Amino acid sequence: MALSTQQSNDDDQYVLLAKLDNVRHVSTILKAIHFKEIATLFASPMGLKVTVEDAKCVQANAFIQESIFHHYIIKEEQVNFKINLTVLLECLTIFGSSAVPGVSTSLKMCYAGYGCPLLLILEEDGVLTDCSIKTLEPDEVLDFNFLSTNVINKIIMKSECLKEAFSELDMTSDVLQILLSPDPPYFRLSTFGNSGSTHSDFPKDSDMVESFQCTQTQTNRYKISLLKPSVKALTLSARVSIRIDNRGFLSLQYMIKNEDGQVCFVEYYCSPDEDVDEAEH
Amino acid sequence: MKEHEFRSCGEIILKMNCVIPGVNIKVFGRAVHSLSRIGEELYVEPLEHGLALRTVNSSRSAYACFLFAPSFFQHYDDGSGQTINGSGKEEEEGEEESIRCKIAMKSCLTVFKSVYTLEKTVERCKIKLDMNESRLIFQLHCRHGIVKTHNLAFIECETLQAVFSKDMCPNSLRASARLLCDAVQNFQNNQEEVTLIVKPDKILLKNYVEDEPDPTKVVHTELRLEPEEFDNIQVGVDSEVTFCLKEMRAILAFAEATNLPISLKFETAGRPIVFSIDSDSAFEANFVLATLADTMTQQRVSSQAESKTSQKRKYTSNSRPSVKASNKSQNSRKESDSMHVGRANKTEEQSARINEHEESRRKPNNKSPDEQGRSNRLNAALSELMNDDMDDVMLDQETREEISKQPIPPASGATSVSGRDNETDRITTGSPVPSTSRENVSPLIPLQSSKPQIFNITTEDIEMKENEEEEEEELVPGTPPSKRFRSMFFGSQASTITQSSQKALTKELSVLAEDTDDEG
Repeated sequence: MALSTQQSNDDDQYVLLAKLDNVRHVSTILKAIHFKEIATLFASPMGLKVTVEDAKCVQANAFIQESIFHHYIIKEEQVNFKINLTVLLECLTIFGSSAVPGVSTSLKMCYAGYGCPLLLILEEDGVLTDCSIKTLEPDEVLDFNFLSTNVINKIIMKSECLKEAFSELDMTSDVLQILLSPDPPYFRLSTFGNSGSTHSDFPKDSDMVESFQCTQTQTNRYKISLLKPSVKALTLSARVSIRIDNRGFLSLQYMIKNEDGQVCFVEYYCSPDEDVDEAEH
Repeated sequence: MKEHEFRSCGEIILKMNCVIPGVNIKVFGRAVHSLSRIGEELYVEPLEHGLALRTVNSSRSAYACFLFAPSFFQHYDDGSGQTINGSGKEEEEGEEESIRCKIAMKSCLTVFKSVYTLEKTVERCKIKLDMNESRLIFQLHCRHGIVKTHNLAFIECETLQAVFSKDMCPNSLRASARLLCDAVQNFQNNQEEVTLIVKPDKILLKNYVEDEPDPTKVVHTELRLEPEEFDNIQVGVDSEVTFCLKEMRAILAFAEATNLPISLKFETAGRPIVFSIDSDSAFEANFVLATLADTMTQQRVSSQAESKTSQKRKYTSNSRPSVKASNKSQNSRKESDSMHVGRANKTEEQSARINEHEESRRKPNNKSPDEQGRSNRLNAALSELMNDDMDDVMLDQETREEISKQPIPPASGATSVSGRDNETDRITTGSPVPSTSRENVSPLIPLQSSKPQIFNITTEDIEMKENEEEEEEELVPGTPPSKRFRSMFFGSQASTITQSSQKALTKELSVLAEDTDDEG
């Protein structure tokens, strides 16, 4: 955009270079997984994947595919580093995070390689901001080994009705119990809090449910504190796919549409709560 | 009996089964929200003539009650066994009563968290009591076939009932919610109390600043409300009543949302003010707020009252010492409150209440002959007080038979009777139709407080009641909770005692009168 030609000559030194007209396409997706300060960023020719983990039990991945950027160059098979996500988001939204019609912030993101800071150049209405964020040594991230072949139950539904259920979750409950079954009540979310229990039932023939593939009854509990952050992704999303594999691991995939109608995915994995005492209700 | 056993070993015993249609869910939700701004516990009581939701604030200076009539519901069954399986009806009636319970306000609020989404998504709401699990069940049937079930833990308790009257109050205002909301908006958010002043020619609302360390340094806000803007005005006694703004806001929030007019009924300072909202026959709401007993105001008002109004209304005057004394004794009352359980409270409160009156009567007596005249009127007032209670019997007791078996508690002994008044009142209150009987309550407004009670009456309880009765009288129990608010006594006991006091009244009128005179 308004970046000088001289700079573009320097661009050769970067292993990763990405340009984007509207920074919100990236910042909103990153917000959906922003429940921990530190994130690991993986860049590949496919695009960016940003991973956030908590308690070795939950993992959130945001995928920003290469097509979201109008310019995306990567010189290596894979580039990865850890970065402070809070700071990254603050920089990306330095011109404000709310959408103002007709005004968009453009972004140029550069990374020169191992040990180098991530450089951001943001421009809005001729105002330039240069940011340099230190990168950290990448750690290994969790591998949940969640294979679609092991998935026992799967539902795809519109996010709308889940949003309400999730935003009203009784946080005095330790766990969120998810029941998926080919028989009634089909799909049930339960909490067991101080004031009693709460169940939300979603019938499989509801017009909110787009796909219902449940093969056997499964009742699993997940720490509510681990799942609660996924509300951020849920509120942004249009559809959600809920999958549970044979080990009780939960995968939540959110389809998020941005203002230009492009689709990105955010994915949450969560391990089941260990001490599942014989589940009632 | 058989019926009962059968059900307990087999199916889940469900008491009460109400279905709120989608169009009314918003009102119900708003009611819960409004109640949540007053108290921390929600008393749910399915009655034959509707579902009552009540609460009282922590200092017991405010009481709120919503009564949703059966017509408010798509389906209404109070669980008294009268509408389910007609064959087992008679057997059940004797042993089972409708259940009264209380739940944490917070937990109920989670059910009706967002009134906006309720309105948009909920198609109907079922309310059930599961006696096996001790759960109050709210089941929201939403769009898209989604069902949200909230099983809330409850505690069985006695009925929460403020004894108040509104229909013989000398002063009555009726206004749109809008008018009052606009008026109240002018006060600062941290304003604790407001004073409502009514005179035949004007209505004023101002912030109460006299408890400020330096009243000259705070903002004084005074609004003059145009009488024309009210739907109805009736001013029998010039009065200045000071009450809490917070609770008033809770009321207004509901009234504004439902766009219903509010009626205010009140007397003079120190007597409760009643806000009521009535929606045809679907539901009614009553909020009873204690008003500040202010020496200055009181004296002024009483002198005015003496010259202007009928004798009946003048008993309200309180001199400073009596207020103090009753505050002191408040503590002792509280202590004894916590000491006991069972059905004793009401009786005790009753006597407490009476003692308070005795006191306010006694002190003035030492001062002037004029005051003495007032004490006579107080007697009349006291007898009215007893009659007040009778109304509640009609209103809330389904256990009349049971109660009438009890011995007459001594409380009734404290009743000072001026026979004529009683006679008339009794006739009116004798009506078995609850809703109308309430209309006929006398102007005295004692509010009775008590802790939630254990449900079953045992002989022990009754004995205890009698004992406490005596204790209480020695303690010179008195009044009110917070600040200088004069007491409002809320009774869960209303029914027990009132029933007996009614008996007492019918049987022993003359004797009782003498008793009280001795005490005085």
